Amino acid sequence: MKLTGRLFLIIMLIVLYLPIFYLAYYSFNSAGTMNEFESFTFDYYLSVFQDSRLMVILMNTISVALISSVVATIVGICGALSLYFLKSSKIRASLLNINNIMIVSPDVIIGASFLILFTFLGISLGSVSVILAHIAFSIPIVVLMILPKLYEMNTSLLDAARDLGATPSLILSRVVLPQIKPGILAGFFMALTYSLDDFAVSFFVTGSGFSVLSVEIYAMARQGISLEINAISTMIFLIVLTIVLIYYFLSTRKTVKRGDLS
Amino acid sequence: MTTVHLTDVHMQYDGNRVLDKFTYTFEAGKFYTILGPSGCGKTTVLKLIGGFIHPTDGEIYFNDKKMNGIDANVRKVNTVFQDYALFPHLNVYENIAFGLRIKKVNKQTIEQKVSRALKLVNLEDFKARDIQALSGGQRQRVAIARAIVNEPSILLLDEPLSALDQNLRIDMQYELKEIQSELGITFIFVTHDQEEALALSDEIIVMDKGKIVQTGTPKDIYDEPLNRYVADFIGESNIVKGTMPEDGVVKIYGKAYECVDGGFKPNAKVDVMLRPEDIVIKPHNHGKINVDVDTVLFRGVHYEISVYDNDGYEWIIHSTVAPTEGQPYSLDFKPEDIHIMLPGEDEESFDKRIEQYEEQLS
Amino acid sequence: MRRLLFIPYIVWMGIFVIIPIGLLVGFSFFDIEDNLTFSNYREFFSWSYLQMSISSFWYAFLITAFTLLVCYPLALIIKQLKLKMFWLFIIILPTWINILLKTYAFIGIFSREGLVNNLAAQLGLPELQLLFSDVAFVIVGVYIFIPFMLLPLFNSINSIDQSMISAAQDLGATRMQVIRKVIFPLSIEGVKAGVQVVFIPALSLFMITRLIAGNKVVTLGTAIEQQFLTAENWGMGSTIGVFLILFMMIIMLFTRTKSKTIGVGRL
Repeated sequence: MKLTGRLFLIIMLIVLYLPIFYLAYYSFNSAGTMNEFESFTFDYYLSVFQDSRLMVILMNTISVALISSVVATIVGICGALSLYFLKSSKIRASLLNINNIMIVSPDVIIGASFLILFTFLGISLGSVSVILAHIAFSIPIVVLMILPKLYEMNTSLLDAARDLGATPSLILSRVVLPQIKPGILAGFFMALTYSLDDFAVSFFVTGSGFSVLSVEIYAMARQGISLEINAISTMIFLIVLTIVLIYYFLSTRKTVKRGDLS
Repeated sequence: MTTVHLTDVHMQYDGNRVLDKFTYTFEAGKFYTILGPSGCGKTTVLKLIGGFIHPTDGEIYFNDKKMNGIDANVRKVNTVFQDYALFPHLNVYENIAFGLRIKKVNKQTIEQKVSRALKLVNLEDFKARDIQALSGGQRQRVAIARAIVNEPSILLLDEPLSALDQNLRIDMQYELKEIQSELGITFIFVTHDQEEALALSDEIIVMDKGKIVQTGTPKDIYDEPLNRYVADFIGESNIVKGTMPEDGVVKIYGKAYECVDGGFKPNAKVDVMLRPEDIVIKPHNHGKINVDVDTVLFRGVHYEISVYDNDGYEWIIHSTVAPTEGQPYSLDFKPEDIHIMLPGEDEESFDKRIEQYEEQLS
Repeated sequence: MRRLLFIPYIVWMGIFVIIPIGLLVGFSFFDIEDNLTFSNYREFFSWSYLQMSISSFWYAFLITAFTLLVCYPLALIIKQLKLKMFWLFIIILPTWINILLKTYAFIGIFSREGLVNNLAAQLGLPELQLLFSDVAFVIVGVYIFIPFMLLPLFNSINSIDQSMISAAQDLGATRMQVIRKVIFPLSIEGVKAGVQVVFIPALSLFMITRLIAGNKVVTLGTAIEQQFLTAENWGMGSTIGVFLILFMMIIMLFTRTKSKTIGVGRL
């Protein structure tokens, strides 16, 4: 049992990482295909950096992700705070339901309905529509990341601050926001991930003049294999791996230290 | 009927020794209590007997059968867990029937046995209840019923009363004792509560840091604690340093008193222990040790009096009459109330010394 | 002050949740010539659309079932590991790579001369036509959804008290009986949550469908994409969308969890 379990885990890990390493391996294949490996080359990496169109798209993707997650985080903070301070639990429940519609809705529905919306509002498809769409689908997740932190907060903290003479804005900036900071960071991080990971919604609202990486890759992939995609994916994987590992080890080191005390 | 032997059992987790050379025989049909503070290894002993873990070293026998490596599900031992561990997805009846269903017992027998078990724990009317709808005491009873319905020859109880409030705890102590004598099976009960241990057990095993410190009947352990640790752990005690110039005489603060212990080397350094309830408060200069009364607390059945002797040592005395705070008094005690403990003596040499001394007297 | 906080959130909800859904429903009543009509709904109940819905459900079911079948034992195994959070993290890590890239990798793996066929050839098996087949579609679907299914499963299995398992063993249950009679019933909420997060997206996949299954598989997702972006028949696309939303609500009703978390409401 123990042994078969370990074996199963190892097989699953191999399967889960296989596509990523498969792409990385052939990104160095001079033959230009994803089967027979001919000889080692950096050509595809070079051509990614020389391809100015691809570089523009890469910058687009990163800017869209950053702008949309910052805005979504700000609106999300407002949303979570107002939900938390709302007196009527009925209204809160229905607002939360609306919030959740966005989270559970399939990407295709979000994409298609935003396409209709932008056309209806006369917003032309391009950078603006993509950023708006990304902000829109990131807000509910930010709200859901912050809200539990607000409920975890000890309410007597607010009373104590008020007792000590703090004004509402001071309470917000000095007491509430520091308390929910982990939630805000998690929300921002999730929004960033959602934005970078999105394909379907962007696909519906990019239009012809503007593109983000996932939409571009889809277009390239439909035409068959292009090892530039391999090179891009390998670089993305390495960047993601570095960031995530740093984040993971920083966060676990903290908990280990805390654990040592007990 | 099953006798459980543990011989030189060692248990190690990640390099930490939690049980060291544990050797003991649990005889069939008795109520045993393993007593000790948290982390002393008492629960480990229970888990080893239950088969949830296996010893790093040493042997476990049920009668003549070696049990090392035999898992919990095939041992005729059942456990009442500390947090009861009742299945939240099953109702009271199904929780109790769980073990029987696993054994594929037929429906009618299950019905009969579950009803009998419910009756034993006074929960006949709660069959169809959800676990979440039960109070702590009721959950406790279901947990007991669920274990005993399987007719184990040994029932293991892991601090089963610790989650209950004081009154319920005392009620359950009576009930546990009753259930045990009715079933006649071995109970091995783990607790850190000395009152529980004294009230329930036929035999108590006091543990510390993975080792047995002392074993014996509640009375033995209360009256003749082996060392400071046991004396402090079981009941309250006043312990002062002293010497034994000869058998039957102990010197405290330079003054000699008559006592009943002996068998030590001449002038052996000893710990002298006096139980708070064995000390009588007399007027100043009329007792054995002069003291000043510091505080008097009313505890309901008795007063708890804190006094200081001339050497600045604090004594605790239980008395039904209250002295006046701040006034000088004197402490008195009888020779047989003085308990002498030799620091560092283990159970074996303690027994040997007592035996020799008694022989010598007779 | 509080009102001021509320405005951006409410405005966002109105513009990006309420109005789009309203527009989607509204558009479903217009045909391609902008006539107000029920013809889209009539067409949805025609044989070809019903067939498509059924096949979409079938594939979503297959993907969900296989994902569950893979993830449940995986969650059980991870729970028993010493560094379980670390291993969980390692398994979840590939989700941070864009789905599209992983899907693209499968094009290579499944292609005529790709990894799978290379292995098959070495084992002396005939060449398999995997790419552009429904088998490949289900495999990639399962692959993509493993982390999403695993997380809720692991959370609910991991939150089962160890003493429950000890108690079951104590009462004579073997390992399989412990899983069947205690762990599974106690993790049913996690199973529901996992099914929910896999089934609904599986119903509406279109990128993976296009890249891996070619034209072999048509799902509600591909149909919507096609109506909107190829046929430019927004009315029909919206109608399918309305039904997709309906199906989604029905599934959520069935997999409703008794979640105690504040704030995570349901539809």
